[in-house]
Amino acid sequence: MAATLKPYLNAVRHTLEAAMCLENFYSQRVERHLKPEVEMRSSKEVLFAPLEICRNDREKVLIEGSINSLRMSIAIKQADEIEKILCHKFMRFMMMRAENFFILRRKPLEGYDISFLITNYHTEQMYKHKLIDFIMEFMTEIDKEISEMKLCLNGRGRVCAVEYLKMFSPTVEWNVSEE
Amino acid sequence: MSASSKPSSTVHQLFMEPISSFAFNGDLSQLVVSNSTPHTHIMQLGKDKKFTTKEVLEQHLERVTSVDWAPRSNRIVTCAGDRNAYVWNYQEDTGYWKPCLVLLRINRAATYVQWSPNEDRFAVGSGARLLSICYFDPEHNWWVSKHIKKPIRSTILCVDWHPSNHLIAIGSCDFKCRVFCAALKELGDKPQTSNWMPKLNKFGTLLAEFDTTNSGWVHGVGFSPSGEQLAWVAHDASVNVVNSASLTKVHTILTPSLPYSCLLWMSEMSFVAAGFGYCPDLYTVSAQGVSFTAKLDVKKEKSGGGEMSAMARFQKLDVQGQTGNAGTTVTTTHENCITEIRAMARDASGTVTKFATAGKDGRLVTWDMESLSAALGGLSL
Repeated sequence: MAATLKPYLNAVRHTLEAAMCLENFYSQRVERHLKPEVEMRSSKEVLFAPLEICRNDREKVLIEGSINSLRMSIAIKQADEIEKILCHKFMRFMMMRAENFFILRRKPLEGYDISFLITNYHTEQMYKHKLIDFIMEFMTEIDKEISEMKLCLNGRGRVCAVEYLKMFSPTVEWNVSEE
Repeated sequence: MSASSKPSSTVHQLFMEPISSFAFNGDLSQLVVSNSTPHTHIMQLGKDKKFTTKEVLEQHLERVTSVDWAPRSNRIVTCAGDRNAYVWNYQEDTGYWKPCLVLLRINRAATYVQWSPNEDRFAVGSGARLLSICYFDPEHNWWVSKHIKKPIRSTILCVDWHPSNHLIAIGSCDFKCRVFCAALKELGDKPQTSNWMPKLNKFGTLLAEFDTTNSGWVHGVGFSPSGEQLAWVAHDASVNVVNSASLTKVHTILTPSLPYSCLLWMSEMSFVAAGFGYCPDLYTVSAQGVSFTAKLDVKKEKSGGGEMSAMARFQKLDVQGQTGNAGTTVTTTHENCITEIRAMARDASGTVTKFATAGKDGRLVTWDMESLSAALGGLSL
């Protein structure tokens, strides 16, 4: 399973490097407008064909590009119910603070857990190679973080259950706990 | 031996904002620059060889997308996303630049502007899918425009005049590079027939249309110094050249690095292309086609890197909160996409000896071909 990680991340990195060649582009449809073309989708010729990079049927990345913006959506591996809930809460926490993240989108795309919207403003103000590094690190770390949270959750659950069920154990004396 | 002591590139950090366009005046002492704001800066080269802002031209309401300086008639033209363009004339008595109205009659943003070789007209490409050729109307003291509309289907990204002053090439977002006739009866043009225009055509006639191999937006287009060859660079990472003697044979080469956004012919046989790879690359044209010659960014190799000592690792963790290596770094002089490339000086035969590039990192870098040639072990232009 770990064997597919490196080529997956490599493919995503190279696609991002190519898709993040963004430049300022005034709208062709509305005068004086300067909007991310990947969101407006008004002129077909300035949009790239969307590219989906799949590691397996549950982990994938969708990269949609255009002349002045790039939208990247990630579907994170969620093996069981607990991971689904943890992932949903974690992503929601970040997306509610999307202003501070700059490149995060407030709502993920249908079928994905989190979406980034990178415009030419971001590549002008920030280093492109650092942006890509950040996204790659995000993808690598997110799985680890969710697993850690799940372990913590299981650990706490176990401690609570042990303490509670101690009351019903016939061999232990009925006394009030000191905590 | 003085050539090797000169640095091959000099960096001027003009702004923190990206530079969208720049142009030198006739004697290279002044520079007009648009950073990505509605203001245009006129900068003067000081005694300390640094550029400082002399005047700020404030007339536009949106980002200024392109500027050009006509060296002989000393006029500046600027165009912006607010659908306007202005021609600025220098007032000798006050020492300031005064704007003159241009009736562009476009209803979308202007994207690129260039003075013609004779400086009697200029072309403005726009998002309104048309090309405006503007000339002066002395009766009303403003610049009027004639439009070329068919068959342009999308925003025009770049424009280049032919040395004959009445042909023009454009690159646009509909993946095509086109050559039009821009001969104006109003200015008394008497065009000659040439390889591009075998019979006399009227204004706005499409003379040639070229496609890009993999549907890339054409970012940069340029006629060679004689006007016989046309080169264009597109977003599909292709570099294309065609000779007017055989218009059906287009030589294409795909660059392994990221796409280019601008190009400059150094001589009849070579040109420099620069763009999203942050580095100007030299290409040579021959009868067989176009080929890559050299990367012109000869920066010293980043020393260090590789393994870090344990002490350095702990220090890095303590001070910066980072473990391991810092991730990717840029090794080129420009740290962001190069947006415009201009010739500065030419030698007796017309070959460019010095050129300048400006990029989205707010830097203007001047490159000296002699020192670069020495550093790279000889380049034939």
